[in-house]
Amino acid sequence: MAYLVRSAIVILLIAATVVSPQSGDKGPVFTNDGSLVLPSGFRSWVFIGGPITPNGLNDGGAPFPEFHSVYIERENLRYYQKNGKFPEGTVLVKELSLAQVGKHPDGSLDSASGRGYFPSTLNGLDVMVKDSKRYSKTNDWGFFTFGHHAEPYEPAAKESSQCAYCHIANVANTDMVWVRYYPLLKSKID
Amino acid sequence: MRKILLVVILGLGVAAASSLSRYSNPVAADSSQTTAVFDSDGKMKLPVGYRRWVFIGAPLTPNALNNGKANFPEYHHVYVEQKNLDAYLKTGAFPEGTVIVKELTRVLNPAFPDGSRSEPSGRGYFNGEYNGMDVTVKDSKRFAATNGWGFFNFGHHPLPYAESAKEASAAECAGCHMSFVAKTDMTWVQFYPILRDGDKTK
Repeated sequence: MAYLVRSAIVILLIAATVVSPQSGDKGPVFTNDGSLVLPSGFRSWVFIGGPITPNGLNDGGAPFPEFHSVYIERENLRYYQKNGKFPEGTVLVKELSLAQVGKHPDGSLDSASGRGYFPSTLNGLDVMVKDSKRYSKTNDWGFFTFGHHAEPYEPAAKESSQCAYCHIANVANTDMVWVRYYPLLKSKID
Repeated sequence: MRKILLVVILGLGVAAASSLSRYSNPVAADSSQTTAVFDSDGKMKLPVGYRRWVFIGAPLTPNALNNGKANFPEYHHVYVEQKNLDAYLKTGAFPEGTVIVKELTRVLNPAFPDGSRSEPSGRGYFNGEYNGMDVTVKDSKRFAATNGWGFFNFGHHPLPYAESAKEASAAECAGCHMSFVAKTDMTWVQFYPILRDGDKTK
């Protein structure tokens, strides 16, 4: 019984420490086994762009279905605009949402504002974190997926080995980020 | 007994971790919140700082799917201030003074007849350059004739946008909102997941 009480104290202490932010209140939060804790508050960060890869244009199953809303904290955006690279500890969040299903073969919908694609339900979260020590093997960035499905997302995610390859192959020259899709990264405007 | 206790202890640990995580990454107070500014002619001044407001969704009406010329070309990025979003989620109506900004962007270098292009993440549409701004303002006295909202167009073209804009006629903007979304405070909430379903991450 004493063993169990000691165990309880140890587990509670671990639980308390794993969620402590690394520096101040911002930046990524990891569990003891290196999993990333689901970021919070990201919808109040700066939105930098929203690619859409509709299922209707990707054989019914886009790899990232379908809208990709990308968010970054303002100070990290400013640093990038000034220096052309992201600071250590930068977190980029890509939240997916499905498109409303229209009658056209490409999935687009006729709306009062025109024919096109309109967000439906939120549909998942992918995150990348810059940490040159932790992720030195993948050009200083770690990749995480918290599921491609409706909320709730996974509370924590292990580093994914499936993502870095494509970023290394295509956007290694722009700090592993698809800068060309994001007007705010391409320009220095506020 | 031991097994049950262990399960209970582990459960407590997980519960403690998840409850603490909610407080581990507080959102900094946003100091950029503004309300609409009008000049003596009743023209609205171009809002500033809106890209730091809360983004709520991005409908896309590509030119190529709209006979070469969409009414709102082409992405519509929509932003609202945090305090007004919070009030909407609580009450189902936007407070007086709410400003909603819709910033347009073109799509990036169309490659297919439908305006889409193929990228490593799939075939679709990607943001090109900024292309204009429309704004709605809730002021039940000033805009009583159009269900309490005024509509402003700062140009549908690349930066820089117009420095001020006069209220758009009902035929240009308000009429369509009154016909389709009068019941949801003149806003197309069906296109914005956060407005429709709430923000479950908070």
